[in-house]
This record gives sequence, C-alpha cells and structure tokens, in this order.
Amino acid sequence: MSDSQPSAAVVDELLLKTILDIGIPPRPTILDVLAREVRAGDPNFKRIAQHVSEDVSLSAGLIKTANSPFFGFRVRAKTVAHALTMLGLDVSAKAIAGIALRNAFPVTPALERFWDSSARIAEFSGHVVDVIGGHEHVQVDDAYTFGLFRDCGIPVLLRKFPFYRDTLARANTDKERRFTTVEEEDLPTNHAIIGCMLAQSWSLPEEICLAIRHHHDFLLMQTGAASLPPASQRLIAVSQLAEHLYQMQTGMSYTQEWLKLGKSCLIILKLEETDLEDLLADVQTRFSHES
Amino acid sequence: MNIDGIDSLTGFLDRHGCLRNAERLVEYSRKDERPLSVLWINLDRFKLINESLGLGGGDAVIAKIGERLKGRMEHRTHLARMGRDEFVLMASGYGLDEANGLAHEVLQLIVAPMEVGTVNLHPSCSIGVACLEYGESHEMLLQCAEHAMFDAKKQGGNRVIISGEEQVPGRLGIKLAREELEVEHKLHAALEVGGLYLNYQPIVAFDGHVEAIEALMRCELNGELVPPVKFIPVAEKTGLVIRLGEWSLMQAAMHARRLRDQGVPTKVAVNVSRMQLTAPKFSQTLYAALLCSDVPPELIELEITESLFMDMSELVQANLRAAIRCGVGLSIDDFGTGYSCLATLKDIPATKLKLDRAFVVPLPHDKRVYAVVKAITQLGKELGMTVVAEGVENEEQFEALHSAGVDAIQGFLRARPMGSDDVANWLCQRNVALIEG
Repeated sequence: MSDSQPSAAVVDELLLKTILDIGIPPRPTILDVLAREVRAGDPNFKRIAQHVSEDVSLSAGLIKTANSPFFGFRVRAKTVAHALTMLGLDVSAKAIAGIALRNAFPVTPALERFWDSSARIAEFSGHVVDVIGGHEHVQVDDAYTFGLFRDCGIPVLLRKFPFYRDTLARANTDKERRFTTVEEEDLPTNHAIIGCMLAQSWSLPEEICLAIRHHHDFLLMQTGAASLPPASQRLIAVSQLAEHLYQMQTGMSYTQEWLKLGKSCLIILKLEETDLEDLLADVQTRFSHES
Repeated sequence: MNIDGIDSLTGFLDRHGCLRNAERLVEYSRKDERPLSVLWINLDRFKLINESLGLGGGDAVIAKIGERLKGRMEHRTHLARMGRDEFVLMASGYGLDEANGLAHEVLQLIVAPMEVGTVNLHPSCSIGVACLEYGESHEMLLQCAEHAMFDAKKQGGNRVIISGEEQVPGRLGIKLAREELEVEHKLHAALEVGGLYLNYQPIVAFDGHVEAIEALMRCELNGELVPPVKFIPVAEKTGLVIRLGEWSLMQAAMHARRLRDQGVPTKVAVNVSRMQLTAPKFSQTLYAALLCSDVPPELIELEITESLFMDMSELVQANLRAAIRCGVGLSIDDFGTGYSCLATLKDIPATKLKLDRAFVVPLPHDKRVYAVVKAITQLGKELGMTVVAEGVENEEQFEALHSAGVDAIQGFLRARPMGSDDVANWLCQRNVALIEG
C-alpha cells in the first residue's frame, strides 16, 4: 500500500473491510463494569443493574437465564436487579458473558441454529451437573457457560473462511481422527484454539479456557493426562454427555464425538451406559414445557 | 583419582566418604538426641558452563565453589562432593529452621560473580534440605534432600526447597506450597476480574521513528501490584504461564490492530516464554491470534530470551521457524547477560537483537563495555538484525550507543511504559509532530 492519501472509495472499502474482518469480538464493557464492582469488594447491585438495563437484549437474556429451569428458583425474576440478586454476581457475570457472546455475532439463519443448539447443550450440561452433583469449579453455571463457549471458534472461522462449512462437515463425520486434526488439514489453526483464545480475552476462568481448547482431545481424556486439570476434564465430560443426550432426544447424530469420547466421559463422571436412559428422561421432563 | 573417600579436586568427602560419614552422623544423632540436617546442592546450568568453558573451566568453577564453601561452612558442617556439580553439607545439631537459614547462606555464597579465565560467570544453585526423622536411615535422609533439590530445580533453580514442605494441589491440580497457593489464587482472581493488563514501552530509532512498542505485563489485585518475580514462578509451575503468554499475544495483537485503525500502525513486541514455545500447537495459537485480531503479521514481533538458547530442542526450532513463516518478527531479548552462545545465535532466524541494560549502565565511561557493545552491534547487523539497546536513561548513554552503531533505544530517556490509551495518544501526537515538521 502506498503512503499517499487514499481516495474516499478506498477509505469506504477499508472501513467496510474493518467491520467485516474483525476476528473475535472484544470483551464486552459490561463485563469490565462487573469486574470493577467485584474488585471493589462491596458491589453496588443498583449501579450494575442500571448498566445492564442499558442493553435491552442483555436485560431480557439475564432475566430469562435467572428463570431458566436448571437454576430451579421458585421465585421468578421480573427485573434485572432481581435477576442479579437471585443469581449473584459471579453467576450473573458468566450469564452476561454468554448472552453477550451471541449478541456479538451477526444474525444469520445458520448462526441462529448454531447458537440455539449451543444454548440447548449448555442447558443440558447445567442439568447434568445438577443431577450428578457439583464439583469444585464445576458447578451448574460453570457447565452452562462452558456449553455456550465451547464451540464459539466455529462462527469465527465460518465468517473468515467460506470453505470452512465443508471442513466442518468432514470433521463431523470422521469416526477416527480428532475433530481438530481434520480442521487442521484445511486451516493453520482450529476452532478449539480460537475459542480458547476468545474465552481468555473475555477473562473466563482457566478451567473453562482449557476445556474449550481440549474438548476434542479424546486421547488426553483417555489418559487423564496431567496437562488437563480435573475440573476441565469434568467440564468436557459433562458437555459431551449433554450433547449426546441432545442428539438422543432429537434423534440426530450429526457428530461422532460420543464414539470417540463417550467411554472416557462416563469414566470421569462415574456413570454407566445404562444411566443414560434415566438421564435422558430427566432432561426431557425438565425441558418439556419449554419446547 | 580419589583417595580413601576424598575428592581430589576439592578435598571434600567423595560419594563413598559421604555415605560412610552420614551413617556415622545418623548414629550420633540418635544417641545424642540431636537434630541432623542435610543440604543437597546442585549447580544450575553446569552442563552449559562445561560446554562453553571446557572440562578444565568446569573444574576451575567447581574448585572455586569448593573454596567458598570451605571458607564459610567447614567449621559448621561436613562437606562432600557427590558428583560432577553436586555437593552435600551435613550439619549436626541443625534442625529444619537452622538448616534452612544455612541453605540460604549457601545460596548467597554461590551466587556471587566469579571470574574464570577471561569469563565472568554468575553461578547459582538449587538446594534441597532434609532433616533426619524418626527411624530414617542415612540413605533415606540423603534421598529426601536430593528429591527436594530436584523440586528446586524444577521450579527454575536458584532456590531452596525443604523436603516434605507441605504441598497441596492448587486449583489446577498442581501441588503447591502454601505461599504459592496464595499467589495462584491472586493470579486466577486477576485473570478473571481484569486485573491483568499490558503496558507498552516504545522503542525509538535514532532518526526518531518508532521502531516498535514492547508489551509489558502487569498484574494488579485490590490496588496492589503483584510483581512478575512473584507471580511468574507460580505461573510456570501451574502451567498458567501459557495462558498469560497467549493472553498477552492476543491483547498485543488486538492493540496493534487498534493502532493501525487509528492511523498509527506500529509494530508490537510481545514476550514469549519457553513453556509457550515447547507447548503443543504453538504455531496454531500464533495463527489464531493473528486471525482473531486481523492484524498483519509484520506488525507483531515475538521476543524470546537468550536463556532459550540453552534448550534449542527440535520443537523450539520448528516453532520459531513456523513463527517466521507466519510473517511475524523475532527478537532476542536481554542479549549478553546469560550464556550468549554465538553458535546458536546464527541458527535463530531473529530479526532483532536487544542488548541487555547491563551493557548500557556503564556507558559512556567504561571503554571495555563500549568495545563489547560495538562488537555485538556489528555482529548483529552482519546477521541482518536490527540492534536495540535497553534501559537507556541519559543523553550520554544515547550518544555512546549511537556512535557504537546501535539502531534504536528503549528506556526512560525517550519513553516510559504507558497504558494502552496513553501509548496510542503518544503515537498519534508524535505522528502529528513529525508531519508538522
């Protein structure tokens, strides 16, 4: 590019390119507001509620989250302030990150389907933890957040590379190799690494970031390698199980991940294959009134 | 050749002599009900000293260390040399606390600079401390001290570890000592509440153009700045150092992108740790950062330290080559203070060489240092690298570096580290000043 003054058309094109090219959305400022309040030690819920309320979809999302069945509150949240109090700041921050994630990407039919299924897997994940019991650093909200962020590298790559749709199709049907190995045949990176880096720059806990990075590493899950903290292994196991339950419920087996990871996941969660039917019945009952 | 359990180089007990002596001391300790402690000392990076100075040089180092130990420890402890670069101190009557104090004294004793021939060395060591426990044999006691020494080594050396020091699994499942747990907790908290941030310090060429800005990590929690010397060792132990490195890379890349969008495209240099370079998927991660920030690779520069030369494994070399293929720049940080291996220098595809501040401080008065700076600068340039001097604080140093042929400087003289908004303003104002003439 020359250093001379660019023409107006070039500037327009550059601006357009800038808007289209932004790889990952920056950390939403509302998360900084929350972090500042947490840091201050004496959080002001009223002030936080005001900030959240400035964004209509964020407010609606937060109230919906507080009222979602897997939190199991008897009282229904009607206002942002109410939802914040019910969830607490820590859970609210994670919920807000999840909502902001979806809002950060453009609305297209294909992406809407992607986010819907992510949201459902996230809810199932939260429910699985509710049923099998929480664990240090793997509570309902951790599993839910992980479910939402797990595949967030996919929309980034879809926007960057038109051919990525075909890559995805091949990775989804590969029964032997790691999903990410198939991706790396076409790309110099993979969605798990991109997702991990997005989560890192959004300040998510390290256990979640590592789980995002390794959620297709079936060998690592089999060996229980020390390079993956127990909490991350558990998050991966919960979400893979949730995805499997989701596929059982919908009757659509569009991935091969359970084939590759299922056995290790059940071992980590101390479950048997025979427990799956009960778990499925559980989630169906719990979420039936929503569908 | 050793005679009768004595090491000929140092005059200390050799391995056999040590075992015999330890057995006797354990017996006495039981009989007299007096504590007995053992310090197992291993010199850090001795292999490298041997490689660079030759066996004779290595022997000279051992002999000098031996003299130091003898001078200060002989009247209090029994001294032994267990192997090439390993010493054992047996201290009768010393409980764990006293032995810990003794170990720190040894640490200080060894760390003093040393001249071997024409080379100036900065030795350091790792020390494991164990105190005799009920029913323990002399072999078990020595083994405990040795294991503790390995732990000290694993934590980066130049430290004392007490055997059996209470270690519990931290948040990521890695065993940590109590004070480390606290730092780990702070680090996680900083990561999650935005207490981690980057400052940027400009690197300015002699003609006034900004060569690059270096990203420097800061960790702040509850208004308290946690210094890197405190959190980096824990980050390395827990693996969090990889996250810190990747996070920095991504933030730096996003900042480079913002600067470009603001009309002041500037190269951003970011530090890359050894653990990042030896972790799997380094190039995929680097590519992800470039892709996610959508920044041209030539606006990113990776800074590696010279200490990496000590372990130029195939993987590290492959990762450095991959980085160059990605199109990013590669800079060697703190050059000249560690074991500057010239043979390795020629193998590293670096584009920039950063002279450590230790070469800048004595300028312009120290003529010998000036000669070294001039020679390194010439070498760097011959290898096609831009040469930068770090820590420049006054005009005299600036002039000396200019006449030595250095290309650019970094230091308080031109600019201090600044926050991301401040550095953007600084660059914009500078741009305007340059345009206005």
